[in-house]
Amino acid sequence: MLAIDDVSFRYSGAPDAALAAVNLTIPADGVYGLLGPNGAGKTTLISLLSGLLTATGGTLRIDGQPLAAFRREHPQAIALVPQEHAFYPMLTVAENLAFFAGVLGLAGHARAAAIEAAVAFARLEQVAGKRAEQLSGGLRRRLNLAIGLLGAPRLLLLDEPTVGVDPQSRSFLLESIARLPAAGTTVIYTSHYMEEVEAICQRIAILARGQVLAEGTLAELLRDGEAAAEFELDRPPPAAIAAMLEAMPGCDLKFRLRTGSTATLAALLEQLAGASCTVRQLAFGRQNLEQLFMRLTRRSLRD
Amino acid sequence: MTRLAALWRKEAIALARDRHGLAALFVMPVIFILVMTMALHDAFMPGASIDVTYAVADLDGSPQSRALVDRLARAGSFRASPGSTGDADARAGIRGGRHALALVIPAGFGERLLVPGGIDGQPTEPLTLLVDPTLNPALQLAFRNQTAAALGALRADVLTKRAGKMFGLPMAPTAGERDWPDEIVAVAVQNERSIRPPSSVQQNVPAWLVFAMFFVVIPISSIFVIERQQGTLQRLAAMGTPFRLILAGKMLPFFVVNQVQALAMVAVGIYGVPLLGGEALQMPQGIALLHWWLVSAAVSIAAVGFALLVASLSQTTQQASVIGGVGNVLMAAIGGIMVPKFLMPKTMQTLAGFSPMAWALDAFHTVMLRHGDLAAILPDILRLLAFAAATLVAAAWINRREAG
Repeated sequence: MLAIDDVSFRYSGAPDAALAAVNLTIPADGVYGLLGPNGAGKTTLISLLSGLLTATGGTLRIDGQPLAAFRREHPQAIALVPQEHAFYPMLTVAENLAFFAGVLGLAGHARAAAIEAAVAFARLEQVAGKRAEQLSGGLRRRLNLAIGLLGAPRLLLLDEPTVGVDPQSRSFLLESIARLPAAGTTVIYTSHYMEEVEAICQRIAILARGQVLAEGTLAELLRDGEAAAEFELDRPPPAAIAAMLEAMPGCDLKFRLRTGSTATLAALLEQLAGASCTVRQLAFGRQNLEQLFMRLTRRSLRD
Repeated sequence: MTRLAALWRKEAIALARDRHGLAALFVMPVIFILVMTMALHDAFMPGASIDVTYAVADLDGSPQSRALVDRLARAGSFRASPGSTGDADARAGIRGGRHALALVIPAGFGERLLVPGGIDGQPTEPLTLLVDPTLNPALQLAFRNQTAAALGALRADVLTKRAGKMFGLPMAPTAGERDWPDEIVAVAVQNERSIRPPSSVQQNVPAWLVFAMFFVVIPISSIFVIERQQGTLQRLAAMGTPFRLILAGKMLPFFVVNQVQALAMVAVGIYGVPLLGGEALQMPQGIALLHWWLVSAAVSIAAVGFALLVASLSQTTQQASVIGGVGNVLMAAIGGIMVPKFLMPKTMQTLAGFSPMAWALDAFHTVMLRHGDLAAILPDILRLLAFAAATLVAAAWINRREAG
């Protein structure tokens, strides 16, 4: 559906490019996760896709059509749900929805139907007459999402849509978002919460410093990761054992052994026991998304 | 049109719920108009009565002394209080604050009215003017001159009567005192045209209306800052809403608000000020009323443009309140809103020429006081529209730069 080829962008006056020759292919009818530390370029990429910024290099195409032309032809087809509560606090939920539907050019029955669908999707019926400034954090997020769905977009850009909400609201939002592809809406989802991305995204890209570090399905990304045993000892191991291990940063007594073999692990534990080294903690297996993310982006952490 | 209607409706609802903004737009100028019109009532009335009271101690009691007292009372500039019985009573009245001036007419005043300076060898006792030392010296001098004028007129009158008898001239049997043609009509001259200076209500209603119109900066910027801080402007841009449409969405609602302000302030001038004892506002009639509205429309466009520029420059509502509020007060101070321009020295009048509020007030006065036609107000209207265009272009440029 969406092809991002060699896309670059640099903010005026910035020493480094916010995006440097990014290539991504985002298939239709799925939830695509964009992960990255602060300053990785996620919001810049979202801004390019929503038309707020124009790429300084490369091309963005939807169904083979240049993005700008596609947006002109289908002005409601791409919707942005920003990180902020981008609506009017002094207006009621219903007034906010009516306003944004009007701005989309919807009138009469089409507007009423769009508002009704958005209210039902985000389950806002009970608070339709309430001013937005009086809503809880979770309800505000739901209103933010509902506004994004008014134009029945083909591509929905969600920029950290669950920040600051309680676990129940987060669960509701994630379930709702996961249902969107079935209704014909492709979702691009940025978040700092790995478990959210693991839960609802079919494909994931990890960005750092404006570059794509890894891209693929969750299974593909984790398959690339090597299995290992990570453990913490009560004392330094003898030199012969230490030579086989990899010291882990942050603690002198934490070590890693790259192996997926339980037999190798068992032999190591036997040697440690022989040297009177007690294992305080042990983790064995393939890395999860968070470990992969931390490993890939460690050098890129800025905050 | 659906999109523009949605933007207008949103602004209308937001403003209707902005109590502080509404207070700044409607309550503040009404209070200013009523208070300032009454406070400055006498400052704008040449020849009006002065709120200073005098008493007369007539120790002579002759027809001539009573004629002098009548002449002073008829002049009407100072307020007469009941007469005093004597010099001591007049002094006690001043010390007690009952009057600020007292004229003591000595015994024998009538007899020696035409024998000044003791030319017959007898001393002539002078009139004595007792004054409150805290009274403005200019007012003391004014009363003294008025008394001298009344005395001169009385002498002339008595002399004329005596001369008529002496030379056997026919006299009307009922002829009383003559009012000599000594009244002077004050005509204020401003710039090259002779006009009546504005009355207090004519100065204050358009002045505070202009000030109030420019205060749309408070509600406009508070909504605009929220839109920018909360990412709503970004969302609208992502929805394909051009920034010029967003500006247009703000122009009309606040233009309407400004016109409602104009109606309200004029109503206060016509109906509210007389209730407090002031003069009712006189509005132009016929085509001049259309000219008045054209000025009002131009002021509104300039005010909304200024408000949008302030909103674009501000990152927070506090900043917008400070920049907008201080900007308005400065424009008002140098623009003749707070102190009428014709009271300013020449250099300050030149400085006033840089304030859009001065252009607005001049245009209103041209229609209301000088009965100027369209050609007379066109320069000020064009200045206001140019100011509006410049501020709108600057606002659009700032927002485009920030978006990029």
